Amino acid sequence: MRIGTLKETYVADAALFDSRTQKIWLVVAGALLVLFPFVASDYWLYLACLVSINVASATGLNILTGYTGLVSLGQAAFMGLGAYTVATMESTMGTPFALNLLCGGVVAMIGGLVVGIPSLRVKGLYLAIATIAASFITHFLFANLSFTGGTGGLSIQPASWFGLPLDTSFRIYWLIVPVTLLMLLGAANLFRTRIGRAFIAIRDRDISAEVLGIPLLRYKLLSFGLSSFYAGVAGGLWAYFFRVVTPESFPLLMSIFFLAAIIVGGMGTILGGVLGAVFMTMVPELLKFVFDLIPGGAGLTVFLSPVRTIIFGLLIIGFLVFEPHGLAEIWRRVRRYFHLWPFRN
Amino acid sequence: MMDWAYLFEISLTGVAGGGLYSLAALAFVIVYKATRVVNIAIGEMLMAGAYLFFTFAAMFALPIWLAIPATVLGSGLLGAMIERTMIRPLLGEPPISVFMVTVGLGSVLVGLVEVIWTADQRRLPEFLPAQPIMIGDAFLAPKIFWGAVIAVIFIAAVLLIFRFWRGGIALRATASDQAAAYSVGINVPRVFSLAWVFSAMIAAVSGIIVGSIGGISSSMGVFGLSVLVVVIVGGLDSVLGALIGGLFIGLVEALAGAYLGGEYKLLATFIVLVAVLLVRPYGLFGTHEIERL
Amino acid sequence: MQKSLTSQRRRSLMLAAAGTALASPLTALAQAGGEDIVIGGSIPMTGVFAFAGIGINAGMQDYVKIINDAGGIKGRKLRYVPEDTGYKVDVSVAAFKKITSQNKVNLYYGDSTGFSKTINPELDRNGNILMAGASFATELNDPKKYPNQFLVGPDYTEMFGILLKHIAKEKPGAKVAFVYSDSEFGRDPIEASEAAAKKLGLNVVVKLMTPPGSVDVSTEVIKLRRAAPDYTIFHGYVLAPIPEFITQGKQQGMKSKWMGTFWTMDSSTVMKMGPDGDGFMGVMPYRYYYDTEKAPMLDKIRQMRPEYQSTAYIQGFLAAMLFTESAKRCLDAGKELTGKNLKTALNSIKDFDTGGLIGVPITIKGNSIPVGRVYRADMKAQKMVAASDWIAL
Repeated sequence: MRIGTLKETYVADAALFDSRTQKIWLVVAGALLVLFPFVASDYWLYLACLVSINVASATGLNILTGYTGLVSLGQAAFMGLGAYTVATMESTMGTPFALNLLCGGVVAMIGGLVVGIPSLRVKGLYLAIATIAASFITHFLFANLSFTGGTGGLSIQPASWFGLPLDTSFRIYWLIVPVTLLMLLGAANLFRTRIGRAFIAIRDRDISAEVLGIPLLRYKLLSFGLSSFYAGVAGGLWAYFFRVVTPESFPLLMSIFFLAAIIVGGMGTILGGVLGAVFMTMVPELLKFVFDLIPGGAGLTVFLSPVRTIIFGLLIIGFLVFEPHGLAEIWRRVRRYFHLWPFRN
Repeated sequence: MMDWAYLFEISLTGVAGGGLYSLAALAFVIVYKATRVVNIAIGEMLMAGAYLFFTFAAMFALPIWLAIPATVLGSGLLGAMIERTMIRPLLGEPPISVFMVTVGLGSVLVGLVEVIWTADQRRLPEFLPAQPIMIGDAFLAPKIFWGAVIAVIFIAAVLLIFRFWRGGIALRATASDQAAAYSVGINVPRVFSLAWVFSAMIAAVSGIIVGSIGGISSSMGVFGLSVLVVVIVGGLDSVLGALIGGLFIGLVEALAGAYLGGEYKLLATFIVLVAVLLVRPYGLFGTHEIERL
Repeated sequence: MQKSLTSQRRRSLMLAAAGTALASPLTALAQAGGEDIVIGGSIPMTGVFAFAGIGINAGMQDYVKIINDAGGIKGRKLRYVPEDTGYKVDVSVAAFKKITSQNKVNLYYGDSTGFSKTINPELDRNGNILMAGASFATELNDPKKYPNQFLVGPDYTEMFGILLKHIAKEKPGAKVAFVYSDSEFGRDPIEASEAAAKKLGLNVVVKLMTPPGSVDVSTEVIKLRRAAPDYTIFHGYVLAPIPEFITQGKQQGMKSKWMGTFWTMDSSTVMKMGPDGDGFMGVMPYRYYYDTEKAPMLDKIRQMRPEYQSTAYIQGFLAAMLFTESAKRCLDAGKELTGKNLKTALNSIKDFDTGGLIGVPITIKGNSIPVGRVYRADMKAQKMVAASDWIAL
């Protein structure tokens, strides 16, 4: 049971991790993350990297949709911008990956601003539709501009860390996971600051926010730019991971995937973004596992892909109808139970 | 030196092709007009209708005059079911949530189609007259022509219904002010159901026509994205806008395809979308309003 | 609901531990000699390519069975380990990682161009695998860039080349139109084929690209009609929108002959075109299931599978055959089964008799098998009939 969480200073009150148990769990989680690549097979390492990239991108979308209340279906397009930037820079200039990732993020952010400026003047769902248009326009650019390799796409040399090529899942894990953790920390910190609180105010009641003195267009653009930056960096990581980028790599379906991830995980919480991304990435694997368990499952594998699609849709609908605050809410309930144990809730 | 005959022929076929868009856009507009829900799964509902028709006409080998009504009824049922299970529970929620539910719905429909009918491409049995339509020297494909004719008939019918039939007036009343509609005794939940049923039926008819032109497959739903552009251009809640917007977008696509190249078709459409969003976000005929989100 | 979250997490951690525990003894086993030769597969058994994936899967299974029933390769049995990918690149890559981490894989079958390109650096690093795939992409036909891969037939440019050669013979100086889809698949052979057509003295009057998933092609048909080609070659599609093109074209009085490439040419696909599809031609590197010409392997297939098998089945069957032949030659020469040795063994295949699956003996010099025949659809007989000799480029 949690007791003695008295705070004596403002700094302590605003801290991200406030109780000793939380800090201990964080150390344990950190240790697990460090140990994981040494015990896991190549397949699980691959999945871990993929999950990590999805977490980074979902967190970006969460900033925009979960915290600021603006629905975007363009996350994949901005990831594509980041990925192509990284690919072009790595192939033509061979600059270090840190610079490439940053540039990927910046290019995606610029893209976000370009899309955001016209569409944020109009409310709500028009932004979603404008981002769909952005998806198609970026797809067209990727497929038809001269330096983007056309429909065949670009292939990339592995990122190199002081000469060591990061070409196996084991090695690239050490690039992807720390970057993701940094981004998560950044996002969590963002919502302790004035800017973060402004985002939340805009989501809750934007007219009131404006009355309070928050310039709406500027902060919405900031939110959109930030989330695009996250998408761009995630896209850059994606590029180093798969080492091939094509216009088909970032379809509209991927944007829908990320939106579903934050809905399932819980919009408006960092933990929600993480849980949602992990869950949605692992669902196909879980399905395969379940199918293998069912006797006579061999004949059912024909249905694996459509069932996956149906479950994807049902997850979105189900969580929206029954648990709008997502997995994070379920997690909070579990925690609350243990906090208050042995007192009944 | 402009080849006027070519331009005329392209424009003709583009406008007629736009009729297809208009019909699907009509289905979208009916739902938005009555319930303020942006149904992004309109393309998938179209697909469901096309597959139902395939089942009745090809698999059960029913004659066409039976298959079409059966399909329409079946789709209506589907629409009612969707409304009851997924839209009604979210009545008070922010529009984003309902929008996301329709996104999920689209996925579910695609998955269901793939499970039952597999993801293979198929052709629908022919039932539209096959005589090519000639206007002077310009050739117009018969399926497109008849599709456009059917679209115009339906839109005219819906316009009349909205104006004169009690149910249509109830729909318009619910759209403008739910609370006021309740207070004059309109059964608002029933109106919602009705809107979705009608929408699904019209989507089914649109699906049948689109399917008989391009074949059916589990990825037919992408048609819905072009429809989205049409309703933005025409106005999300305007039936007339659906017609004009559809014809306009059809024309733009045809001209882009003819003079620029096939890959520019979708790009042109979306550039029009962006332009409209910039200049006149409520569309040509949509109602101006302050949207709260 | 509260329990499910923690147990899901716990389960995946358990799975990770179990997976690694299982993998270690397996790899130890694989070091011992005389063990199975593993053919791994990322097979699209569901999704948009499922009709091909199911055929390929069945074809490979059957051939592996034939070889194992005959005693295997030098006493070593073949083991075929497939995974479904739904034709998605990231699922394919995950399947590859899974299969290669649980088995010692020497031969692999990939489901798409995207997968083949993505996995290539991994293949080079692994060094023990020879890979073939469902893709016939021109880019893969480059032994320098893709040294561990090969195509089970001609690449798309070569397919066009075979069609163009046939056209040039039938009607020298003819007008040809290309209609292709706006995708990597569609765009692949167009540029090179235009140059090839010019060399053969043919006139490419128009190249039309259709957006993917487009329903209404009437504007394209109008353009096509105005170009008045003698032959129209479709590429980058399975079925739609070809029938619509043909129907509208015929209605408008076009006299063009209609042709297609591999993925359109499966018998069941062409038959779906209806009466307007009569006379539709295309290039097919293999014989069809119901071909009655002398083909001992086809007879065997017909014995094993009494119902019609698609051209994808034959592709899988042939891939397994070439895999087996490479492995056999490699072991016969006393060499270890590495990617390089297997590829050398594959390239040593000269005038090889495929048992009639391909009508002439084949030689694999580079990464592809540039042989094919032009077939024509006979709607009355509901069959594809040969319209030319076997053409080798």
